[in-house]
Amino acid sequence: MSATLSLKVETSHDELDRITAAVEDFGEQESWSPALIFRVNLVLEELGLNVMDYGYDDGLHEFEIVLTSNPDALTIEIIDDGRPFDPLSDTPPPVLEGSIEERPVGGLGVHLVRELMDELHYRREQGRNHLTLVTRKME
Amino acid sequence: MELETRREEGTLIAKAQSRVDGANAREFQEALEAAIDTSDRALLLDLEQLSYISSAGLRVILLTAKTLGKQDAKLAVCSLSDPIREIFEVSGFDKIIPIHPSPTEALAALKS
Repeated sequence: MSATLSLKVETSHDELDRITAAVEDFGEQESWSPALIFRVNLVLEELGLNVMDYGYDDGLHEFEIVLTSNPDALTIEIIDDGRPFDPLSDTPPPVLEGSIEERPVGGLGVHLVRELMDELHYRREQGRNHLTLVTRKME
Repeated sequence: MELETRREEGTLIAKAQSRVDGANAREFQEALEAAIDTSDRALLLDLEQLSYISSAGLRVILLTAKTLGKQDAKLAVCSLSDPIREIFEVSGFDKIIPIHPSPTEALAALKS
């Protein structure tokens, strides 16, 4: 049995709280572990903020988040009609070495997403960015 | 963002609560900046009651570590939940910021 949560989200940081609450409710309903709820919220925040902050020139826009929960895997889809952006190839590699003074501030968001998810796919289709992420680590 | 603080022998101990995300990271940063005194020799961030942190929160922690470095003070963290420890490790923060199981062990290490 699979269950789906579909959310329409505006490009406003105020939406983060609503996304978090919806993920927590859905996760509890699907008996996800707290660690899985944490990871899903993190992925949606990191990628959602990218769409909100860099996807459009101005104004408020709407994009879509779809979660599909199965007993052995969870799929996250983020679909927006903002400017073409593939975070998997258009993001510089993170700096994970060096002293406190040497580390650059920021640039860890997409890296965290890559590390926490098992599969990441991007495609541009009919004027939309489609990001699909899969995790099989359900505990 | 509520930050509960106390001092023990030149170490500022700050307890982060609930969540640090893109929506409140700036508040977290301002609360830390307000709490740190130039006479502090170390900051211990107690994360026992922190349930969530994203890259926005890591950014504030690195900025704070850099600020403390300039006044020759140290930063350590303690009482991390498993998901938060994973975030620290994946980001390579465990190589630059000491992680301790409890405040007692952190304070002992900071004194030595």
